[in-house]
Amino acid sequence: MTKRLKLGAVDSRALIKAGGVAGLAQIAAPFVWSARAADTIKVGIIDPFTGVYAAVAQNELIGVKYAVEQINAKGGVLGRPIELLVEDSANDVGTGVQKARKLIERDGIQFLIGDVNSGIALAIAQVSNEKKVLHIVSGGHTDGITGKDCHWNVYRVCNTTKMEANSVAELLFNKYGKKWHFITPDYAFGHTLQEAAQADLKKFGGTVTGNELTPLGTTDFSAYLIKARAANPDVLLVLPQGLDMVNCLKQVAQFGIDKQIHVAGLQQELESLEAMPPEARVGIWMFEWYWKQPGVPGVEKFVADIRQRSGGKVPTARTWFGYTSMMSYALVANQAKTLDGVTLAKALGNFELPPEVKLQPNKCYYRAGDHQLMTSAFVGEALTKPAGDPEDLFKVDTVIPGDKTSPPESETGCTLQWPA
Amino acid sequence: MTQLLLFNITNGLIIGAFYVLMAIGLSLILNLSNVINFAHGGFLVVGGYIAYTLEPYLGFWGALIVSPFLTAIIGLAVEKTLISRVYGRDPLYSLLLTFGLAFILEDGTRVIWGANGKPFTIPAALAQPLSNQFFFITSYRLFMVAVVAVTIVLLFLLLRYTRAGVRIRAGTLDLETVSALGVNVRALRSLNFAVGIFLAGLSGVLAAGQLGLEPTMGAGLLMPSFIAIIVGGVGSLTGTLVGGLLIGVASGVTAVFFPAASEAIMYVLMAVVLLVRPRGLFGEEGMLT
Repeated sequence: MTKRLKLGAVDSRALIKAGGVAGLAQIAAPFVWSARAADTIKVGIIDPFTGVYAAVAQNELIGVKYAVEQINAKGGVLGRPIELLVEDSANDVGTGVQKARKLIERDGIQFLIGDVNSGIALAIAQVSNEKKVLHIVSGGHTDGITGKDCHWNVYRVCNTTKMEANSVAELLFNKYGKKWHFITPDYAFGHTLQEAAQADLKKFGGTVTGNELTPLGTTDFSAYLIKARAANPDVLLVLPQGLDMVNCLKQVAQFGIDKQIHVAGLQQELESLEAMPPEARVGIWMFEWYWKQPGVPGVEKFVADIRQRSGGKVPTARTWFGYTSMMSYALVANQAKTLDGVTLAKALGNFELPPEVKLQPNKCYYRAGDHQLMTSAFVGEALTKPAGDPEDLFKVDTVIPGDKTSPPESETGCTLQWPA
Repeated sequence: MTQLLLFNITNGLIIGAFYVLMAIGLSLILNLSNVINFAHGGFLVVGGYIAYTLEPYLGFWGALIVSPFLTAIIGLAVEKTLISRVYGRDPLYSLLLTFGLAFILEDGTRVIWGANGKPFTIPAALAQPLSNQFFFITSYRLFMVAVVAVTIVLLFLLLRYTRAGVRIRAGTLDLETVSALGVNVRALRSLNFAVGIFLAGLSGVLAAGQLGLEPTMGAGLLMPSFIAIIVGGVGSLTGTLVGGLLIGVASGVTAVFFPAASEAIMYVLMAVVLLVRPRGLFGEEGMLT
């Protein structure tokens, strides 16, 4: 009997401890791969290659690797080849910071790219700033990176959440209606995105019927959907990303909610649309880059080249982020003929991307005041039935230039402190 | 408001039913083998992906039946080669082992099927809400609840009326005596593990129909199952059943009043149960029934 008593107790407690261990799982740090050669220029990329953002991070890496290949084939940077060091942040802030320190202090990188996760991006930007290393945030959207938390050495390629909201809000309002209900992921990205959209809506004279904050990693959205439908809005805005968005839209489709309320959102990605069954691909959204742009120079070649390197898959916005981040560094360093961080950071201000890099119809340049890339928003509709190619899942209606969607520099809250 | 509340209670029961299916498998393995199977979510994902791969050939129904069996076979192989080595040791060993396995399974699926999610389609007849008012009750969700109900009934019958089932229950109570009576405990544990993993595989197929199929999807479903076991009481399958439904309803009802806490409420519930009745609702003190 004593033995049984003990056994039962051990099980219960071990189970609870186990829960704690599950939380710690996020910290485990997996593989690193790198190739070293003499007299190279080292570039580091930190992204969450494991965990929920693995798919988008991998696409970003494909873009970076493709850019390195192109740069090295044309003689590298200042005649030296680029050597890429890849680190996994495992979607954890602590791990990301550790990897940033390792890349800068031990490997001596000249340039840093990353991270997809906004929180990690903000944290490693502090490290790169402290060490004075030029850094491009490729895929973290939260406004602060080129807003109140901006740094002289940090640039960003992807949109701010404010830009995303501004690009779609007016169309949604005019086309779908003025009563909006939000499903918002409960963390920095979701909050700023929702606030931006709500501000736009208020400006147009619309009303918010509710805002459901959903924890990151929510699997079942039915309770929120029940509430949202009871509020009877004109538009249901689905703001979660990745797996959460897929879960939410799948349930929206199964409940038939899209037949009663307009379902839409702001940021949408090819990775997410591809993970959804056809009936879940509905609504108006914005893409940050799209692979089908007839007549825009360079896009076809880029798509064909990436297909060769990714098992036939087309580039996504993430692939383009990676490619553009890497190319920006090589272009500006070759133009300024130096590797000095401060000089390069200055040179990137107002730097305009050439057609073979921007791969979009509008002018695309880094803004000097907040270091945000003025990149276009591809606004359109998700396609239930692919238009020809199985990966053509989005119909672009308008391509809005970045300086139309972005608030003026004076409103971003960014004040750059340059080193003396 | 009353209607909203009723809606969410019903909805919570549906979600809870799914947690139950997953938690019962975990509970079976825990009760007999003292193994806290952290890889359960991993097996769930494997089950979902196998179904995704089989669907073009066997259709949804074929995949629903075949995939859990294939998952169970993989589970059996893992049990024979790895898990069986840590039986009888401190639970920490199996905890670490299955913890590592969970990573291997997640990264394995990522290597085989890719990091990007896959669209798993269910028959159109199932993907419809039953009525306009009760739009959240889709035929698929009802079907899911039915599958869970049938499975649980079959499982309880199996445990009560078959020789192997009786031995599993006896082993849960006192494995040493069962072994002394000449029962092949090794085989019994393997069978039990395979049944547990079968349930994980089945949960995986059902989940894939409703949620996004992605290598990480198991992680989010694993914690509620653990909580269901703790709330219900370690060692009691009935407890697990009640625990699963309870946290489903609690989470559904909380979503009406305070959506951001709909996940946290499960942990609050667990904490309260642990404080007031540490053995869990149906757990008998000192006994694994």
